[in-house]
Amino acid sequence: MKKIITLKNVSKEYKTLNRREGLRGSFLDLFSRNYKIINAVNDISFEIKPGEKVGLLGPNGAGKSTAIKMMSGVLKPTGGEIFVNGVIPYENRTKNAENIGVVFGQRTQLWWALPLIESFKLLKDIYMIKNADYDNMMELYKSIIDLGPLLNKPVRQMSLGQRTLSDILASFLHNPKVVFLDEPTIGLDVSVKSKIRELILELNKNKNTTIILTTHDISDIDALCERAIIIDKGNKLYDNSLENLKKFFGSYRTLKVLFKKNEEWVDYLVNEDEQSVMQKLNEIAAQKKIVDIKIEEISTEDVIKKIYDGGIND
Amino acid sequence: MHKRGLLFYVKIYLKIIKQDIKSKMTYRADFIISNFGMIIQQAAGFITFWLIFQNFPSVAGWKYEEMLFFYGFSLIALTPMQCFFDNNWFLQQKVYSGDFIKYCLRPINIFFYFISEIFDLKGLGLLTAGIAILAYSWVQLEIAFSFLILLILIVNLFAASLFLIGIMNIAAAVCFWTVTGEIAMVFAQQFQGYARYPIAIFNRVLRFLFTFIIPIAFVSYYPSLVFLRPDNIPLLTWLSPLIGVLFFMLSYFIWMKGAKNYNGTGS
Amino acid sequence: MIKRYLALTRIGIMRVIQWRGSLLITFAGNIVYLLIIYNIWRAIYSSSPAETVNGMTFTDTMVYLVLAMTIFNVLNIFIVWIMGEDIRSGQMVLDLIKPMSFRSYTFFSTLGGNIVQFFVVFVPTFIIVNIITGGAIAIGLNIFFFLISLFLAMIIFFFIEFAVGTLCFYTESVWGINIVKETMVLLLSGAMIPIAFFPAGFRNVVNYLPFQAIYNTPLRILTEEKMPLNNILQMLFVQLIWVAVFYIAGGLFWNISIKRITVNGG
Repeated sequence: MKKIITLKNVSKEYKTLNRREGLRGSFLDLFSRNYKIINAVNDISFEIKPGEKVGLLGPNGAGKSTAIKMMSGVLKPTGGEIFVNGVIPYENRTKNAENIGVVFGQRTQLWWALPLIESFKLLKDIYMIKNADYDNMMELYKSIIDLGPLLNKPVRQMSLGQRTLSDILASFLHNPKVVFLDEPTIGLDVSVKSKIRELILELNKNKNTTIILTTHDISDIDALCERAIIIDKGNKLYDNSLENLKKFFGSYRTLKVLFKKNEEWVDYLVNEDEQSVMQKLNEIAAQKKIVDIKIEEISTEDVIKKIYDGGIND
Repeated sequence: MHKRGLLFYVKIYLKIIKQDIKSKMTYRADFIISNFGMIIQQAAGFITFWLIFQNFPSVAGWKYEEMLFFYGFSLIALTPMQCFFDNNWFLQQKVYSGDFIKYCLRPINIFFYFISEIFDLKGLGLLTAGIAILAYSWVQLEIAFSFLILLILIVNLFAASLFLIGIMNIAAAVCFWTVTGEIAMVFAQQFQGYARYPIAIFNRVLRFLFTFIIPIAFVSYYPSLVFLRPDNIPLLTWLSPLIGVLFFMLSYFIWMKGAKNYNGTGS
Repeated sequence: MIKRYLALTRIGIMRVIQWRGSLLITFAGNIVYLLIIYNIWRAIYSSSPAETVNGMTFTDTMVYLVLAMTIFNVLNIFIVWIMGEDIRSGQMVLDLIKPMSFRSYTFFSTLGGNIVQFFVVFVPTFIIVNIITGGAIAIGLNIFFFLISLFLAMIIFFFIEFAVGTLCFYTESVWGINIVKETMVLLLSGAMIPIAFFPAGFRNVVNYLPFQAIYNTPLRILTEEKMPLNNILQMLFVQLIWVAVFYIAGGLFWNISIKRITVNGG
């Protein structure tokens, strides 16, 4: 089957300044500096088929955003090759830009002072979208969400949730073959999160758009993706179906317990195949007084720790 | 792939400006205050000259009205930069915060996309002050008026603007390489202020610097000589439109090179 | 208590010196500036029949203007812009809940920038000027009084900046109010043209304004070798009065203004 995105042994190195500590250190840095090389992305390869929904999962600083920036043509890799729609993104930025949409959570790409509808009209001109296609897309949008309160509102007056929603709509406007979503749900509350996930799923279903999503929140992947790629410290740790991942981690829960008000929550990782959360809770309660509890899915950090410990089939 | 020619960019630009002005009109107080500030600033420059000539009869052979001519000319030449290229002042902040990345994601020219974002109306205050000062000195100096001389004036003003825009483009681009590049903008702006003095009063080192390195001599001095010293026009005056275009292109390439250097991370 | 404030200043210094590219540009730009002023005023004086104009020789004027502009660069740390941006973005609300007065917080955190600028801009310029002019500025007790006067000038300048920054609660036009302030300060303080060159009536008005206390006072203390101690103390006293006036009036203005946002909720 045809591939829409190919990464072959891609690496990206950064040079950063090693700063010394304190006022004295700042003075020393003024005259002599030492740099260190950071491998943000280290020899990563994968292929993605048209219409696939892929999640790039990893903690902050894992190299997910760097990968997205390379695929969208902003950054040039220091090694390896990338093809998106048969185009090398960093060598042909504008051609690549026509076929992709990109959203960065918390960082709008719309015109700050303009009402959303005016941003859309400008994008229509910039991407040279035909009238009929534009109208079709607007019809589709209206069938999925209530655009009414958004269209005439200047972006600067929008809430973060409305802004992210608008940015996602804008990124699909020219019907790109691939849409990259970099942490689209960061900083949003649960109800807005689910609204945004629904929107992405609907658009993917209707237009067969390939979706590449980065997140540090495993529930995003759970809700949106059929395939997960896990990255940590620039290395690819896992690349397989979400189902396979869930077979392994689906029974894990994070039990958060608060022992005293204003203290920090204490985390316990529970494998429900071995012991239920209730059993674990009783065990803890027998020893100490509990003020409050929360039950969450396994955190990305715990998944990565488990992968390092071994025991998952890639 | 779509072809995007000059016509495409002109069309998009006009649309963006129209929207921008529309949204700015909701902040009328800002429009009035900034234009008032612009005029106050130029009035202070005018007072400075006036004070100098209250105490001295002339400056190295240049009369009060001639000095005003240079000044007025440089203010009008500043206007296009102020109106159309003001977003350069925000470049550092956008590079630092990482927001600059948004300009790299559209299928259009990065420099165009960035610059088109702001149309600055306070340039109108600058233009008003410039025209007033230039007209005053023009009349006082009894310079003959003809269609030809008006044409030369416009061409020379256009060339002078290109130099100013070029200087600011390069100064702004510094922040692609060093994070606190805004300081380069501040200095470039201070130098702009000296464009109003006849370059002939400087020593050889500064004359060289202002002609070939930071070419503010082309902002007012060389193009104004056509009107003030018509009997003795140097070659550089005639060449200034050509050099202006070349310098602007150079600044564009430096800016774009910087944008390519941008690593999208912020800081 | 004072330790906490000095920690802010220390962080301010570290923040400024971590960017050596901009320090280099600041340093080089200032040298070029010095050359420009020298050339312009040499040309101006060369066309005058008299050596001394308004009691100032070419050297006096040049030293005065170069140092005035240098002090401007030392003092100018964009407080209006920072406050304007804080107010616009809503960050100000977070600053207000810090356990110290916002004015002191801002003063001490920007003081670090002033100190670095003093060493990168003022000290080299002072040395160069003194070499070029063959020691036009005497080095003695005047330096001591100058430093006191400069510190007072810095406080006055800060208060003016802060008051103008406070205006940003009322208007989004940060650029506009900042340029009006900057123009007034530079012109009326004698940083563009020495106050000695102003017509007599104008000069009288200017003497009753706070602006001359920023550049004119420290510079006269530094450059006028034979100024009697009485005069020096008198000038420092006038500066102190301005500090007191701005401390009280600026504080009142600030308190009234933040009530506005706490009432309106930003």
